[in-house]
Amino acid sequence: MGKLTIWIVFAAVLLVLPQIFDSVLSLSIFTQMTIAIIFALSYNMLLGQGGMLSFGHAVYFGLGGFLAVHAMMMIEFETLSFSITLIPLVGGVFGLLAALFIGSFSTHKAGTVFAMISLGIGELVAASSLILVSFFGGEAGVSGDRTFGPPFFGIDFAQDDHVYYLAAAWMFFAVLCMYLFTQTPAGRMANAVRDNPERAEFIGYSARRVRFISFAMAGFFAGIAGGIFAVNYEILTEENLNAATSGRVLLMAYIGGLGFFIGPVVGAVVLTLINSLLSNYTDLWMLYLGILFLLTVMFLPRGLTGLLMMHRVAWQLGRMRLLLLPYTLTAIPGAVFILGMIAMIEMSHAEDAEFVYLGLALAPAGYGSWALLLSVTAVAFFILRRTLPRLHEAWAEANTLPRLQGHKDGRP
Amino acid sequence: MSLLQLQNVCKSFGPTQIIRDVSLNIEQGEKHAIIGPNGAGKSTLFHLISGRYKVSSGGILFKGAPIHNLEPFEITRRGLARSFQVTNIFPLLSVFENIRCALLWSMGYKYSFWHLLSRQTALNERAEALLEEIGLFERRNIPAGELAYAEQRALELGIAIASGAEMILLDEPVAGMSRSEAKNAVALIRKVTEGRTLVMVEHDMNIVFDVADRITVLVYGEVIASDVPEKIRGNPRVQEAYLGETSHA
Repeated sequence: MGKLTIWIVFAAVLLVLPQIFDSVLSLSIFTQMTIAIIFALSYNMLLGQGGMLSFGHAVYFGLGGFLAVHAMMMIEFETLSFSITLIPLVGGVFGLLAALFIGSFSTHKAGTVFAMISLGIGELVAASSLILVSFFGGEAGVSGDRTFGPPFFGIDFAQDDHVYYLAAAWMFFAVLCMYLFTQTPAGRMANAVRDNPERAEFIGYSARRVRFISFAMAGFFAGIAGGIFAVNYEILTEENLNAATSGRVLLMAYIGGLGFFIGPVVGAVVLTLINSLLSNYTDLWMLYLGILFLLTVMFLPRGLTGLLMMHRVAWQLGRMRLLLLPYTLTAIPGAVFILGMIAMIEMSHAEDAEFVYLGLALAPAGYGSWALLLSVTAVAFFILRRTLPRLHEAWAEANTLPRLQGHKDGRP
Repeated sequence: MSLLQLQNVCKSFGPTQIIRDVSLNIEQGEKHAIIGPNGAGKSTLFHLISGRYKVSSGGILFKGAPIHNLEPFEITRRGLARSFQVTNIFPLLSVFENIRCALLWSMGYKYSFWHLLSRQTALNERAEALLEEIGLFERRNIPAGELAYAEQRALELGIAIASGAEMILLDEPVAGMSRSEAKNAVALIRKVTEGRTLVMVEHDMNIVFDVADRITVLVYGEVIASDVPEKIRGNPRVQEAYLGETSHA
């Protein structure tokens, strides 16, 4: 499949999705996803592509968003007159300006120095947003109305699906631009500086300047995401530029996979789903998110995308079927184990006398339910361990190149 | 006028003087070797010339202009490139990308984010030609960090010469190689530095006397001799300070 085909399919998916899942909730989730995808990809320009660990990327998202709300208010009060479709660009420009200023001193060094400066700036901006009430609106934030200004081909963006299509169009444009950036001299040198800043200087590039360019770009696209957020929610508060938002975008990029362009997209989709769906089922969704992050860091350093990409060799060799049975055999006790763990976590958190889990009535106060869950989980864990050697074997076989196998061992 | 002039260069780290009043001229087209016992300051001298360290006093002129206050990337842009004693490549980038990145500045791309690399035919062809030259064309798509040691050394050399620099500093280019690998590496160095000025630090005397048309001997940060190989061989001070030692080894 050619690269052009991928982009066409991507655009088609964006167009068709809200036709298939047309509920209010799914539309809202899709719009959230577009925002998260741009934000996470812009973050990965720093961390994955440029080797800069930032704890304050929400600053550019938030500042862009706040300026976008102010621009919306100016349109409402007719100080300015332009189409609401350009609001994300306003966010982008101010994200860029903020990044140009802060990047001018924060990109001298990567590593710990950069991380600490980003943390400091993040705290500084979040704190001042509560103090500078006239601009940031204090704890209540600032709100606007997206339905003013000249209509865009008769559309006034009063409806949610209009907002989705606007967000999707900007997202497509932003993702395309960020992808193309990775294919330019500045984008490639960002990788080189990430790998070895010293050597980059000896092939004629200032590592600092290379980082600065990536940083400015990342600020621009984060600002666009903030601008779309402003159009979608019509309100921005301190929450949108504080450390929690900066942390969430780090989780998205990391869980998705830093080493792949598509990684943060996967992370943004998964985390948006967890955020908006899982939170309907359990109060403890943040805990599960934390566990997912820990497991990713420990076992999947290349993220969820890396997990998929691991199968490329087996796929190319046409040996995926070798993995099918071992995977199923491991997945069944694995699923039971995970469900058992979740049941115990949820039960310890339950307040009522009866706790219904997967149609099973459990009594959090009695020993019987605990003993049942413990034993089921333990047995599942035991069986899970027993299935692993077979999985390892199948994995090795599926990934052995044809010319290397079958000479010495005389396999049966 | 000499291509590179070192004028009374001194370098101290705290109270320790590493380079003591070194003055040296290197002419256009010369193949110059710097030798000396361990700790003589050879690598430090390279770091001073290439801008990694700043001189404590004295001056360094390249093509007649002072470079001792410039950053490494500014020196590189003026046509003075170097390799490193410890392999210093971009490990996660492919072999091809390593070479292509090394070509970018000299081909005028600067910090462009408006050129698509895949469309730059001249750049890509030159990268491929260079890969052929250093013998890594077959390996171009694997991450540079996965190359074998001798291959990484070849890539190290390739990155250094890619910019088309007039002067190339090679810091122990064959260190850690077997005899046959070293022999290939020397042939490669000869080929790719043809018509350029070469300064190398090297321990292997066979290679030094084979490649260099002038040799500078550095002992405890001081130049004790700088001459053509035949005269260096016969120089009693050099024999005492350096060659005498190695002949016992």
